Amino acid sequence: MNLQLTLAWRYLNGRRLRTFLTTLAVVFGVMLIFGMNIILPTMLEAFQANIMAAGNLVDVTVTHKSGSGFPMAVAHELDGIAGIRAASASLERTVNLPADFVDGNPSKPDGITALGLIGVDPEAAQSLHAYLVQVPGRFLQQGDTNAAVISQTLADAYGVKLGAMIKVPSVSGTETLTVVGILPPRTLPGNEEVLVTLSQAQTMTGQSGQINTIEVALTTTDETLRNQTVTSIESALGNEYQVGALQSGSEMFASIKMGQAAFNMFGVLALFMGGFIIFNTFRTVVAERRRDIGMLRALGAKRGTITGMILVEGLLQGLIGSGVGLLLGYLFAAGIVRLMQQPLSAFIRLTLGRPVVSPTLVINSILIGVGITVLAGLIPASTASKITPMDALRPSVAEVEYKRRAGAGFIAGLVMIGLALLALASGNMSLISVGGLLFLLGLILVAPVLLRPIVFVFGRLTALVYARQGTGDLAQGNLTRQPSRVTITASATMIGLAIVVALGGMSTSLNGMMSRVLHKSLGSDYLFIPPSVSIWNSDMGAGSGFTDRLKAIPGIGDISTLRFAASTFNGQAISLLGINPVTYPKVGGLDFKQGDESAYTALANGRNMIVNGAFLMSIPVKVGDSIELATPNGPQTYTIVANASDLLNAKVVTAFISQANLAADFGRTDDLFIQMNLKPGVTLDSVDAQIKAVAADYPQFTVIAGKAYIDQMMQLLSAVFIGMYFMLAFLAFPSLIAMLNTLAINVLERTREIGMIRAVGGTRKQIRRMVVAEALLLASVGTAFGIFSGMYLGYVIVKALGVLFPMEYSFPLAGVLAGIAIGLLFGALAAVIPARQAARLQVVEALRYE
Amino acid sequence: MSLIQTENLTKTYGSGETAVTALDHVGIQVKEGEFVAVMGPSGCGKSTLLHLLGGLDRPSEGGVSIDGTAIADMKDDDLTKLRRKRIGFVFQFYNLIPVLTAVENAALPVTLDGVKPAEAKNRAAEWLTRFGLGDRLASRPDQLSGGQQQRVAVARALVSEPALILADEPTGNLDTRSGDEIASLLRQVTKEYGRTVVMVTHDPRIAAYADRIIFLKDGKVVDETQLDRKGAAEKIANKIKEIGD
Repeated sequence: MNLQLTLAWRYLNGRRLRTFLTTLAVVFGVMLIFGMNIILPTMLEAFQANIMAAGNLVDVTVTHKSGSGFPMAVAHELDGIAGIRAASASLERTVNLPADFVDGNPSKPDGITALGLIGVDPEAAQSLHAYLVQVPGRFLQQGDTNAAVISQTLADAYGVKLGAMIKVPSVSGTETLTVVGILPPRTLPGNEEVLVTLSQAQTMTGQSGQINTIEVALTTTDETLRNQTVTSIESALGNEYQVGALQSGSEMFASIKMGQAAFNMFGVLALFMGGFIIFNTFRTVVAERRRDIGMLRALGAKRGTITGMILVEGLLQGLIGSGVGLLLGYLFAAGIVRLMQQPLSAFIRLTLGRPVVSPTLVINSILIGVGITVLAGLIPASTASKITPMDALRPSVAEVEYKRRAGAGFIAGLVMIGLALLALASGNMSLISVGGLLFLLGLILVAPVLLRPIVFVFGRLTALVYARQGTGDLAQGNLTRQPSRVTITASATMIGLAIVVALGGMSTSLNGMMSRVLHKSLGSDYLFIPPSVSIWNSDMGAGSGFTDRLKAIPGIGDISTLRFAASTFNGQAISLLGINPVTYPKVGGLDFKQGDESAYTALANGRNMIVNGAFLMSIPVKVGDSIELATPNGPQTYTIVANASDLLNAKVVTAFISQANLAADFGRTDDLFIQMNLKPGVTLDSVDAQIKAVAADYPQFTVIAGKAYIDQMMQLLSAVFIGMYFMLAFLAFPSLIAMLNTLAINVLERTREIGMIRAVGGTRKQIRRMVVAEALLLASVGTAFGIFSGMYLGYVIVKALGVLFPMEYSFPLAGVLAGIAIGLLFGALAAVIPARQAARLQVVEALRYE
Repeated sequence: MSLIQTENLTKTYGSGETAVTALDHVGIQVKEGEFVAVMGPSGCGKSTLLHLLGGLDRPSEGGVSIDGTAIADMKDDDLTKLRRKRIGFVFQFYNLIPVLTAVENAALPVTLDGVKPAEAKNRAAEWLTRFGLGDRLASRPDQLSGGQQQRVAVARALVSEPALILADEPTGNLDTRSGDEIASLLRQVTKEYGRTVVMVTHDPRIAAYADRIIFLKDGKVVDETQLDRKGAAEKIANKIKEIGD
């Protein structure tokens, strides 16, 4: 083995606790990044499998830019275009299924949670797809009614054979279809398709005369000719149509993307803390080995050799840490995926598969883990290379920094904090966000100077209540002898606790707001909820027959429904919700930020719309502006009359229009979400059975009393918050490692001093107290900083969310208390091992220690 | 009467074939107010003897009694308290706490004993002033010379008014002049303040300040010499030649 490797290995081995802790920091960072980046792709893959059909012979897919249906006649525009071999018009719809719809067995997890209902022209479809129908059995034929072709997999799931009936939700109640053909089992998991005739699909979805997809097969594989054909198709259809890949599910993608950004931020913060820990360790390593290094230099080692030795140590730790981190990260992700399935199912019928690991992610995680370790070792390594042989001759004592750094860094830090506070006062959102970062950095920069005064104050306190007989003073002195080391450690603690306090502030504010909005927008007596709330495009609605039957029940009061159509403006997908301007405010209602209830009346007169916060954030318009929305019948101008949100659609770009306009411009009349009140004096019990009986014919809806729904939502919300706190405590974990590491280093470095204190009469207990007091002081500095920056960050988050929802920033008392508790607990925990080591030192050996 | 008495004091490191006997059945007595130097070649067991006398380490065999109290079987905490109240230590490398001032360092043993900080500092300041450091009370160790730091260490050893001072090569890290200063300071401690001092050294010139010299070799006492002030150094040098390295 080469000398550097030998030395690196022996040194690491000689300081096992420290090596373990430093490596743990790498492990943690890599684990978090690797794990987080497994979880999201796993969700995405499940989602894609859910939505996307398996690939086939289709070369070009034509959809409307709005994502909604369009007249069948459009397909004829393609007639006569050179280069088209075949074209097939279809109406495709993802139908989310209620739980246990297919197997009727609540004890078994559902294999099938959604169906792709596909209405096709049998002849045209077969010219594009090879449907290998098993014998006996046949494909669909022109004029078939209530006939379906399904795969073997789906037939097994339903437990049916050829010629049997299956049930599928439709707008006019559950439809019964006869299986006329069975296709081979699908190799790829995903949505099972139910193929029906086009007219059948139009009836079942309530979109008569409409299609939403034209699949086209081209005659040639020549790239130039193909492009020509695509261009011809585009010009034949006009710019209302999208030629190319299917564009569904953009709402969901947006949500997932937001989640990914947040997760990655946590990963980066964790790694940031890890970098701090590693940097601290290497600095100490170099200081501690000054004599060894000097001696090596005296024996003729070159500077490069010394630098190399330190970096090889970093490399070793980085590699081992990353390896273990990958393993733990995978387990972490697998665990989270399993845990997430349950709460996820409450909103979306989505089955998560096995964790998805891409080779790039593995390589990147290792690169990041090793990279950060080596990077953190660079400065200490270069310091090491500057050690002269003369250093070998000086006695080694614990070093002390006496310099007070009220220099450029301090001033820069003050300026940053000042700017951050100004940003806060300005009320400008983007300034405040930048201010959050400035505030954190500023605190880190001023910390070395503020350290002594802060430690002094806390030190008095500690000395008074805990560390008497001078041990508190010693702890205080010991802690401040290396301000930069302590600052770096405290910064790691600060970041960890800032996250806790910030999210604590957010959840306090959010909780209050949620409960208010929930009661307002979902406060009706009954709710009929589709399987996927707010991902309306994949829910199968109900035709007017459903509400008519409900209205016929005596004692039923107002009914309000939500209808959906997709649209776009300048390429931005917009979710359009049709409401009844008269009944909607009576049963539910929006939370107005600009404008008031009179906006409902405006919806009934002309093309007006109420938009939500997400809408105004994504599209540069304001209340009073008019914009052209893409509709199947060409663009239509709508005027924004108010800014208001409801809970379900808060994070999706949404506009509310009247149901009359939705029917006229988008051809959609099916109800996707129904709220219903009882007449005054009518009790739930008297009508419940009748309502449930009607609802039984529309299994795509879950019937629930409004109060119960709110309770359920609030429960889910607190479950999410508890989960979040748990994860946050987890994120604060590196700060524990940082403190433990620093204390272990401090104790080791002062072995001789501790021996001396023991020699002149310090008891083991006093030594232990000294170390514990030091730990508590260290923790309190980090905690104090963490709470301040956490409150700032919390304010930033609440303000950012305020764009979607008007909400007040409430003081995060719970978060602050949690922060203090976690900080002190971690401080005390961090002290356990070093304090014991210090107290157990043999006096004579400690005195001889170098 | 004897302040220190040892009987068959033996210290063995390791076991079996690799066992090394650092001290081999040593029996010595030190009277109250006496200044004793312990000399001998490296590895003869000087420091081990001092550590055992101070209760920093435990003997393998035999016993030590200080002021008539046997310390070999004392519990760690009791031993610590004994050290705090009855014994003061001076080390070769001073071992001052770098973050404490001179007066805080000197006050450490009484502070650890629970004496109020102000009172502790007063006592420490008294000793420092006696040793000529009255104007350096607030200086940190790195602002003091080696000799000054060692004087702070001697003050620290005396602040709890112990009967016995144990000094391990107290001049080993100092130049000749500072070394002489410290040695005469220790003599002053015995003669003027009535304390007992046991000092390990290998420097005959420093040993010459003592009243009596105990010579150790291979863990055994090989000679004891009573000194008078005149011609002490030559007498010691001759002894060392005689005993050999």
